Amino acid sequence: MAVLSLLLAIPAMAAPLRVVSLNLCTDQFLVLLAPERAVALSPLARDPALSTVAAQAAALPWVRPDAEAVLALAPDLILAGPFGAQTTLAVLAARGLPIARTELPQDFAAIRAETRRFAALLGAVATGERLIAGMDRVLASIPPHAERSAMPIEARGYAPGPGSLEEAVIRAAGFASAGNGARLSLETIASHPPDLLVTAAAPDYPSLATDFLAHPVLRGIARRTWPPALLACGGPWTAQAAALLARDP
Amino acid sequence: MKPALVTAIVGLAGLGLLVGAAGFGWPDPIILVQLRLPRTLLALLVGGGLGLSGAVLQGALRNPLADPGLLGIGGCAGLGAVIAFYWGISAVFAPALPLAGLFGAGLGCLVLLGAAGRAVSGASLILAGVALSAIASALLALALTAAPNPYALAEITFWLMGGLEDRSLLHLELAAPPILLGIAVLLRLGPGLDALALGEEVAASLGRPVGRTLRAMAVGVTLAVGAGAAVAGGIGFVGLVVPHLLRPFLGERPGALLGASALAGAALLLGADLAARALPLVLPLAQEPRLGVLTALLGAPFLIRIARRAVP
Repeated sequence: MAVLSLLLAIPAMAAPLRVVSLNLCTDQFLVLLAPERAVALSPLARDPALSTVAAQAAALPWVRPDAEAVLALAPDLILAGPFGAQTTLAVLAARGLPIARTELPQDFAAIRAETRRFAALLGAVATGERLIAGMDRVLASIPPHAERSAMPIEARGYAPGPGSLEEAVIRAAGFASAGNGARLSLETIASHPPDLLVTAAAPDYPSLATDFLAHPVLRGIARRTWPPALLACGGPWTAQAAALLARDP
Repeated sequence: MKPALVTAIVGLAGLGLLVGAAGFGWPDPIILVQLRLPRTLLALLVGGGLGLSGAVLQGALRNPLADPGLLGIGGCAGLGAVIAFYWGISAVFAPALPLAGLFGAGLGCLVLLGAAGRAVSGASLILAGVALSAIASALLALALTAAPNPYALAEITFWLMGGLEDRSLLHLELAAPPILLGIAVLLRLGPGLDALALGEEVAASLGRPVGRTLRAMAVGVTLAVGAGAAVAGGIGFVGLVVPHLLRPFLGERPGALLGASALAGAALLLGADLAARALPLVLPLAQEPRLGVLTALLGAPFLIRIARRAVP
């Protein structure tokens, strides 16, 4: 029995030493769980509009999703997303490199599971449990309040509905989500206004897709913004978006 | 003819105030004033400007295929407006949006006037328009790759398909003055166009030299099309179709078509916009069909028919 447990322990002890991440979501797990093992991140990891670890990532190297560039780094594990860079990943897989893909968690239970999975993979189980405990502390600190409706609204009027990370955050903050997973026109929103409109903090560049949010017809509806980086990927950091929403205006 | 068209416009505009995503019927006053009113009036003005521009272009260039969209003027206006928006100029100074649309349309008209002076056949003028459209869309893509918004190229796909949903009174304030001015300039061109139809020498001997008519046309089309494209995006084929629909009733004399073309263009775009708003209410559509898509579906078959008959 002791021998068996020793054998089982070997993969965990032999955690990969040179990890390359090609996806914004795995970038953030890698930086939080095992930054010393990160050989390169995706370029998006340094963008503060999208990444919650932009400051740490700026000190780490980055690599384009290009098979030659990745192979030159001699990684022993590749972290990737479920979509994108598929031709690059096919070449890396053909070279026999192990590839771990994120499953893009869309609620807090899935975030706990995903954090544990990557923590085990990167040999950072204790760090993973610390991140989960921190997230659960933030969620538990949200005070109960009378239920009101909140509608998440994104570019071109898309209102994420059931099964989305946005809805999970809104419910964790104690609101009923008014999003239905469809694209809504201003007239639809104005005729059935939610108690609260939740938008991404306005980008610092002009965007036709979010310009409609400045329309005067929405002026009467309370509005709260959340930083898009907290929701670009589901992770322990996402709990902060729920805390932001629950705070008194 | 004109009383019938005016009746149609009043009816369609009235319906326009009663139909929207919130459902059929009289809406909340805020929705009525802030959303449906600007949208309806913009459809009226933009459509009127496009219909009239088409009639004037077809008469002045003596080409049945002339249309602000096909000739690339709409594309150039869009280029100007998109640069003003994505480079943040219109955020600082809102009138920059229609002004840049006017600037683009004006440049397009100048290029076309140069081509019209030398173009021997009708087809070569249209080819010049195709080339101008291609240059405008290439420059648009180039301008957007330099824009700070990483999603600009994806966003513009929708804008290029044209539409009037979620426009505000500000858009109306910005676009209405230039469009109305352009319509006024173009409506005065009737005698010049009639004279031109008799030949350039006859027109000159009648005291209406071709150069002056063409210059006034360029100014009017720039004003009517440029500001419209800046707020409504790419809406094509209205200017092409409208004069052809009216000729069986009003005859071939270009001057006789002008007022009716403005009215019919307004009615056509009001009707198309009404269809775009009503379709999601009766069909299980996730979003409105784009206005430019509807006008293209109406107009492109027409283009095939005209091209078969007109171009040898």
